[in-house]
Amino acid sequence: MIQVQNLTQTYKSGKGVFDLNFTIKEGEVFGYLGPNGAGKTTTIRNLLGFSNASKGKAKINKLDCRKDTAKLQNIIGYLPGETAFFNNMTGFQFLKFMTEMRNTKNLSIKNNLIEKFELDTEVKIKKMSKGMKQKLAIITAFMHDPRVYILDEPTSGLDPFMQNLFMELISEEKSRGKTIMMSSHIFEEVQRSCDRAGIIRDGKIVAVENINALNEMKQEIYIITLKYKKDVEKLVDSNLDTEKISEYRVQITVNDNYQKFFETLALCNVARLDVKQESLEDIFMKYYGKAGVSHE
Amino acid sequence: MNKTLYKANARANWGILLFISLMMLMYMSVAITMFNPENADTIEGMLKMLPEGMIKAFGFQNLGTDLTGYLANYLYGFIFITFPVIYTAIVSNKLIAKHVDSGSMAYLLTTPNTRIKIASTQAFYLISNIAVIFIFNVIIGIILCEAMFKGLLNINKFLALNWITFLVIIVVSGIGFFFSCFFNDTKNSLAFGGGIPILFLVIKMLTGISDSLDWIRYLTIYSFINIDKILTNNTYVISSSLILIGISVILYYASIIIFNRKSLSI
Repeated sequence: MIQVQNLTQTYKSGKGVFDLNFTIKEGEVFGYLGPNGAGKTTTIRNLLGFSNASKGKAKINKLDCRKDTAKLQNIIGYLPGETAFFNNMTGFQFLKFMTEMRNTKNLSIKNNLIEKFELDTEVKIKKMSKGMKQKLAIITAFMHDPRVYILDEPTSGLDPFMQNLFMELISEEKSRGKTIMMSSHIFEEVQRSCDRAGIIRDGKIVAVENINALNEMKQEIYIITLKYKKDVEKLVDSNLDTEKISEYRVQITVNDNYQKFFETLALCNVARLDVKQESLEDIFMKYYGKAGVSHE
Repeated sequence: MNKTLYKANARANWGILLFISLMMLMYMSVAITMFNPENADTIEGMLKMLPEGMIKAFGFQNLGTDLTGYLANYLYGFIFITFPVIYTAIVSNKLIAKHVDSGSMAYLLTTPNTRIKIASTQAFYLISNIAVIFIFNVIIGIILCEAMFKGLLNINKFLALNWITFLVIIVVSGIGFFFSCFFNDTKNSLAFGGGIPILFLVIKMLTGISDSLDWIRYLTIYSFINIDKILTNNTYVISSSLILIGISVILYYASIIIFNRKSLSI
């Protein structure tokens, strides 16, 4: 459904994207993962036909993204990473404007989404909070029932409840056979919702993997706070991958030996258990370290 | 042309359209009310008290006893240029560059409308609104003149004068629109799209102050509003119309092509 072939676009600063190649099949949810500034938005700009690529091309539904831009827009639902609307309009006026610009006939999806996300559409966009604007952007991207979604950091600005609601929406659309490309810099978000993920770093794709392969890469790290010092010794002496980080705290890296992990912990007096968030950077460092760790 | 977008523009810009139209209407009414053929000498006398350079800068020379010539010199030398120029500078920037700068252009381009259609709609909006400003003022001007000084206004000459001024403003709007399409940020779009027309205005004010500066009138588009020639010479009206329309077409065409081809960071 989406094909990116040798796509290169360089900016004057030397940044950009270089020789990107990937394909997204129809009905697939594709995560586009990379740290901020890696080139996610640049790729998306090319998919929407905003930018002129220096080399290569992007196609959606076999149409050239830059040349047949207008033809493609009825099948694309786009959620921009940075949302800027027509500030003098209210949410309602903006949605009406967009349906008229797109000549959307069926307005029931729009009304359902407004209800689902509990958006007050009578507020002027200027006066909306970041979360409200994000909801408005989501409704705008989904209300014309497109076949392909291109979502740039879709959950930013949403509270956890709304994030869940959004994830539900994604899986609903997936079950209706829609193709979804979702950029993110948060591993968990992609892990939860995607079938496959492309990882971009410094403008280059370093890996395109099934989500299961990525899951295996990600080690869970727990930080255990213990009540007694003797338990600390017990943990360190066990054959788990442990590291003592302070007097009462031990860090344990769990690969797939959860059974052993719980058995050992059951013998100790645990005061607290925290999950250590592994940043995307950490994962890159571990698995693609040599491929592209020229990090300032 | 996209009607929905045109309406959205109208909703966002009606305030400035109304303001500029009313300011011009106010000057027009004051000018007409102040006209008094018997007191022409008094006005001339009053003007003599002002420095000659200033009178020439604002184009107030030859405020004769004829109503058409009086209005032409009083309004079309400065006031009826300045207000539309302010309008075009602000609105042309808002129509393209501001949407690109803020990112809201992304929403316009993710609708099934080509860039050419979007830019053409914006261009048509700008041109039609300038037409509205002039038509509004011409109609009310003629009504006021007929009501107060029946038969004194030479309507044909007055229309020719407005027609040439309108075309000059269309060229100015073309300059603003060009830079609005050319630049990705409002800062540059405003600096060039508003700066150049204002520079033209300064040059116009300098011409005529001294004979040695006469050559600089070739450097400003406003020299096409040559009141003496418009009021006396029909061939001048026709030939300058053709030149002004030609320049406008080139400017607007180039703007739309540039906008269609350029790479947008939105």
